[in-house]
Amino acid sequence: MNRAYSITAAELAGRGVNDIPPELLSSANLVYSSPATLAFNSPGAQGFGVKRAGLAVPGSVMLLVAPACCGRNTAALGCEASLAERFFYLMQDDTDIVTGRHLTRIPEAVKEVCDSCEVKPSAVMICITCVDALLGTDMERVCRKASDFAGVPVVPCYMYALTREGRLPPMASVRRSVYSLLEPKKKNPAAVNILGFFSPLRDDCELYTLLKSAGVRAIREISRCRTFEEYQMMAEANFNLVLNQEARYAAADLEKRLGIPSIELVRLHGTDRISNQYKLLGQAVGATFDDSEPRRQAEAAIETFRAKHGRRTFAVGEWLNADPFELSLALVRCGFAVSEIFGTVGGANFVYVKRLAELSPGTRIHSNLSPTMMYYRGRDAACDAVIGRDAMYYHPDRPGVPWNDERQPFGHAGVRALFEALSSALDGKVAAR
Amino acid sequence: MKSLLKHLSPFAPDQSGAVSALFEFGGLIVICDAGGCTGNICGFDEPRWFTRPGAVFSAGLRDMDAILGRDDRLVAKLQAAMQDSDLAFSAIVGTPVPAIIATDFLALKRMAEKRTGRPAITVATTGTHHYDRGASAAWVELFRTFATERVPVESGAVGVLGASPLDFSCVNAGTHLVHALEKDGRRNAWCYGMGAGLDRVREAAAAECNIVVSPAGLAAAKHLKKTFGTPYEVRCPWLPARTLDALPRIAGRNILVVHQQFAANAVRERILSLHPEARATVASWFMMEPDFMREGDFQIPGEEAFIEAVTGGGYDAIVCDERLRTALPRPFRDIIVDFPHFAVSGRLIEED
Repeated sequence: MNRAYSITAAELAGRGVNDIPPELLSSANLVYSSPATLAFNSPGAQGFGVKRAGLAVPGSVMLLVAPACCGRNTAALGCEASLAERFFYLMQDDTDIVTGRHLTRIPEAVKEVCDSCEVKPSAVMICITCVDALLGTDMERVCRKASDFAGVPVVPCYMYALTREGRLPPMASVRRSVYSLLEPKKKNPAAVNILGFFSPLRDDCELYTLLKSAGVRAIREISRCRTFEEYQMMAEANFNLVLNQEARYAAADLEKRLGIPSIELVRLHGTDRISNQYKLLGQAVGATFDDSEPRRQAEAAIETFRAKHGRRTFAVGEWLNADPFELSLALVRCGFAVSEIFGTVGGANFVYVKRLAELSPGTRIHSNLSPTMMYYRGRDAACDAVIGRDAMYYHPDRPGVPWNDERQPFGHAGVRALFEALSSALDGKVAAR
Repeated sequence: MKSLLKHLSPFAPDQSGAVSALFEFGGLIVICDAGGCTGNICGFDEPRWFTRPGAVFSAGLRDMDAILGRDDRLVAKLQAAMQDSDLAFSAIVGTPVPAIIATDFLALKRMAEKRTGRPAITVATTGTHHYDRGASAAWVELFRTFATERVPVESGAVGVLGASPLDFSCVNAGTHLVHALEKDGRRNAWCYGMGAGLDRVREAAAAECNIVVSPAGLAAAKHLKKTFGTPYEVRCPWLPARTLDALPRIAGRNILVVHQQFAANAVRERILSLHPEARATVASWFMMEPDFMREGDFQIPGEEAFIEAVTGGGYDAIVCDERLRTALPRPFRDIIVDFPHFAVSGRLIEED
């Protein structure tokens, strides 16, 4: 094992989804947390891990109940002063992690936290970790007790890294947690929630315009709610639009508790696919969406890029706001080439691998988490531009875009922005790494 | 509440200390976790990772691995990763998960050695202690495993023990420590774990003397003294220039120095040489070795205790990592002299 493992799209598609090579499965190997993958390999890591995501409820604070090691990197999240003031820690010692005696201290700790805040928090989110997963803690019960004692809503957030590939991974669970405080409200047929992200869609996303054209007057996202009262208004939605499959469980919970149904959309990069998805959405909600103008703009951006930079070859990573396989397929369908993908293959995206195998059989697929990535050397790779922060790490000498901004790209506007960003990168205007 | 942090965030844990000690020795390090602990270490506590990523892996434990105690799977993964590599040894570092399920680290060590055919080190850290405890255990295990041969003592040879970026907030601390010793006339000095690799560990008996620069290195120094008779000195030959430059400007007589004990002691010596009339007290969140404490020195058990000690201590100046400022009431924030401590703030010093 002294070179990075990879497999071509054709070889992988030939094996089928039930025969993915063990080298691509994180559960079959030690996991290499390369600098390229740190942000998403840990549920508490950079970006929106469980810790930061739990604070999506406006006015809330978080009490992390864990050994010191679980809260250590929160110091980095806390660089942003407004976030630092919202994190509190109840440290577990050796006896706690074996006996669970820390649970009796939680109500008092919650009260002490609330008393120490200048403004009483709207809620206390309790973040628990692998320790309580193994202890089998009934944190719902502990939270109810803490809520009664402190007089504030208390909600559990499960940062159970041990269950990352389980039925309810931490990032799906925390989405349910952040919407769990919504109370039943009279329905407003002109209100819609967008679920899936902890930061808003780009302001120029056509989804807003299309929904408004269909008579929707209130489009709410949790990240745009400035107060707890605004957040509570999400309960009046007529339906939820789920833009990230990790929000499915939260949407199902909202349907069960508040009777809000949901429609799921996928982030796509083929303009024809995007249009088709809007058409289907229109059929579902009884409206006709005219996306011709944003589609024209997206296709113009692709054409401008192609005219200026030619048929480039890309390497695509997975630390970005896209599914790397879907994005790669879209690039190939636009006439570009994709030499490498750094991604995690599974049932959900294997369909893209199969299509890629037909159109670009030689595209090589790496697993970011494979121990063999320690030996990856990108110097000889055929790509001349890269997309994704991880791909940029592997190819520091190639122009690229990280494409992992907190503002979420979606739809035609996302495609247009991507090609504009790529064009700037190839012009040498972007140096953000 | 003693275990509640309302102003500060947690300090570097024992598992980070263990990895920091072992980082530069060319082994394969497995953190026995589900992924989060490794993320904390590689993404935060090991600043060398971003410029010199090495063979540090997560065991990738999942719930059933922990519930069923599937150590054999871990060792099989370790074996696969070691195969065909030139990695000198493997090291398995504990986290809360193995602590809860009572993993037998000695058995893991034996299984790993048998399956890989190479030495294995295990450090039974739990994630609940501070970095120095883990570093100390790792240093001892490293020397126990590799420093087994009694080689001839080299005249003037000096080994530096206990240095890490967590202690010195600088990825080049080893070079600075060695240069400082060279200026003192020690022409043949090396710094374990920050510059000096496994060959130097194997020939540890060649050192005429060891210099211990943090409490984390003391147990290893005692082990080497017991094994080879190598004497040791406790001192800190290098400290950040900006902190030292600020010391002459300190006004007042009652000064508190907060850092790892040996670095704080060195700052105290400097303060007393500049201000002979001053009273300087050393405190630390971390290990305090009684043999190197003076009257009034104390260990800080928690955030509340720190606030009480500062507000009730009548100090004119506090030499500590400026991250601690956030825990203090406003009037005390202005008397801080910055003495960066990566294990506290995750902040590296700015080097000239």
